[in-house]
Amino acid sequence: MNTLTLWFHKLGSPPTFYRFATVLRPWLLALALLLAALGLYGGLVLAPPDYQQGDAYRIIFIHVPSAWMSLSVYACMAVAAFVALVWRMKLAEVIAMECAAIGAAFTFITLVTGSLWGKPMWGTWWTWDARLTSELVLLFVYLAIIGLYRAFEDPRRGARAASFLVLIGVVNLPIVHYSVVWWNTLHQGATIKLVGDTTMPMSMLWPLLVMAVAMEFYFGASLLNRARTSLLSLERGKQWVREMATADG
Amino acid sequence: MTDATDRAPLLEVRGLRFARQDEPIFGPLDFAVHAGEVVLVEGDNGSGKTTLLRVLTGVAHADAGHSLLHGEPLSHERAAGEIVFLGHQLGLKADLSALENLRVAEGLYGRRHGVSAASALASVGLAGYEHEAVRRLSAGQKKRTALARLLLLPAALWLLDEPYANLDREGIALVNRLLERHTEAGGAALVTTHGAVTYLHREPRRIELRA
Amino acid sequence: MRPGSVGAACWAVLRRDLLLAWRRRGDVALPILYALIVTTLFPFALGTEAALLSRIAAGVVLVTVLLAMLLSLDALFRSDVEDGSLEQLLLAPQPLAPLLAMKILAHWLTTALPLVVIGPWLAVMLRLPQAVVPTLYLALLVATPLISLFGAVLVALTANTRRSGMLLALMLLPLMVPVVIFAAGAVAAAQQGLPWIAPIAWLCAVLALALVLAPPACAVALRIALDA
Repeated sequence: MNTLTLWFHKLGSPPTFYRFATVLRPWLLALALLLAALGLYGGLVLAPPDYQQGDAYRIIFIHVPSAWMSLSVYACMAVAAFVALVWRMKLAEVIAMECAAIGAAFTFITLVTGSLWGKPMWGTWWTWDARLTSELVLLFVYLAIIGLYRAFEDPRRGARAASFLVLIGVVNLPIVHYSVVWWNTLHQGATIKLVGDTTMPMSMLWPLLVMAVAMEFYFGASLLNRARTSLLSLERGKQWVREMATADG
Repeated sequence: MTDATDRAPLLEVRGLRFARQDEPIFGPLDFAVHAGEVVLVEGDNGSGKTTLLRVLTGVAHADAGHSLLHGEPLSHERAAGEIVFLGHQLGLKADLSALENLRVAEGLYGRRHGVSAASALASVGLAGYEHEAVRRLSAGQKKRTALARLLLLPAALWLLDEPYANLDREGIALVNRLLERHTEAGGAALVTTHGAVTYLHREPRRIELRA
Repeated sequence: MRPGSVGAACWAVLRRDLLLAWRRRGDVALPILYALIVTTLFPFALGTEAALLSRIAAGVVLVTVLLAMLLSLDALFRSDVEDGSLEQLLLAPQPLAPLLAMKILAHWLTTALPLVVIGPWLAVMLRLPQAVVPTLYLALLVATPLISLFGAVLVALTANTRRSGMLLALMLLPLMVPVVIFAAGAVAAAQQGLPWIAPIAWLCAVLALALVLAPPACAVALRIALDA
């Protein structure tokens, strides 16, 4: 067994992961806050006002990275779900389920910021724009995953069932998005262009990217934190947890 | 009767352990069931007898150890068709008649040479009740219908979860007769019971289940 | 010893489920009554102006049929789990996927097909132009098996839980958005005199895929849900 596989196996052991997560978590959070400060400064202060939308566009510095995160978290969740189902690995199950809550939060933020942007821009709190509508469906899928997990008394069986739903979603979400885009062209005529990414000036692009990276780090910190806590609760009968509790207390 | 234990075991269990949410249910278990044998699994309520059977049918996964069927690792594909399972819930559709239920089982598994659904029902004392809807049968009669399925289906290994439950003395004798004939024909059976006294032609091997 | 062939096993399962539905044939009326009642609520809510109703008729019927199927899907596996028949199915020497396909077929025949038959007439009650009825029939004929197949996979996942119809709705409805979009899009196009075959063709393609992929996925989902 080469070193990578060995490291993977070791990391999959709950006590090892717990220690790893405890150590890494504050660093990721610190990086996230630092980069977020930088990105927000760049976006809110340094970047010039948009010639069409004035200052109101600045919400994209939260909205767009959030949207990317809602998809990025799903991808991470899908990988964890796959590992959980194929290898029945407890840690993968925990990670997949904790990703769901974080992903749902990012999706919700995307929708709310999109809505806040819509009000000054198009005078309405909700627009049936293709991307926003797809985000809404994505939120439902996240909530369904969480709901399915909660419906089981046995958390491991629940995690496996929910993981299967995650994988079904991987296949179906692109289909949903494509169909929503098609539907949107039928019903909206000219699609409302949010921001043309290719024509975005660098002064707007770099804060966006920095915010995206900041959010990824935040996701990492949050995931490690949640997984750590959840693992502790799931393994509470085990030896290593008792040792840790008596050592601290 | 040749000694059953010198042949390769039909079912073998090594180091089998099961835990639910980190609460150990049973294990580690080691035993083997040979052709021609009846093995009794005894334990109190909640000791995991039903769970053990579900693991052996391939429906549930054990946390540690493995089971072997005919020397090969037991999975639901391997178990399919080789094992007949009789559980607490009998697997009978209440709206269908006894005969119709057996016909479904026959369609799924095929049937033993020389046995038909009607003859199996007659053998368990349900002649004349073939066309009654199962919901109108008594608990004992429902059990007998499920037992008729054992006669009908061609499988070497029987996994019976509390087969004596709901049966009167005649019914208990019937179960013992069925087990006897099955083992004489080279089959094997794993039977769970929570300590109710049973009398068999030969004293079966007993395994105690404890967490 | 003669093992049952896959064909014999499939026929046994199909016959069993059809027979069971026949024994409770009163239940077939329930989804139909539900669809009828819900459809009649719309004029009460929106008024009887013909132009408005005719625009929403096809969409209302499609969504109503979807909801009716949602309610009836819940019972697909429930009785089999409760009386232990499902475990017997799992142990059969046949691959599980074709057997589940037969269960889904029986379910579609007994719960969805009646809805497909009366659906367009409910739409006509809501002033759908009669010229569009064939398109709506086709749309329902292609969309309802998709709902059955997909719904079966998701119901299988919840096979052993304290069931809530709301949870199944939350799981199924978002993923049925494409089906609703394309089915309704086809009928809307037909109503405007535009070519409508493309969305139907798309649905047929997805149906072909679902016919192949859903039964094995359902088998996997069941095993995951029943695994202790």
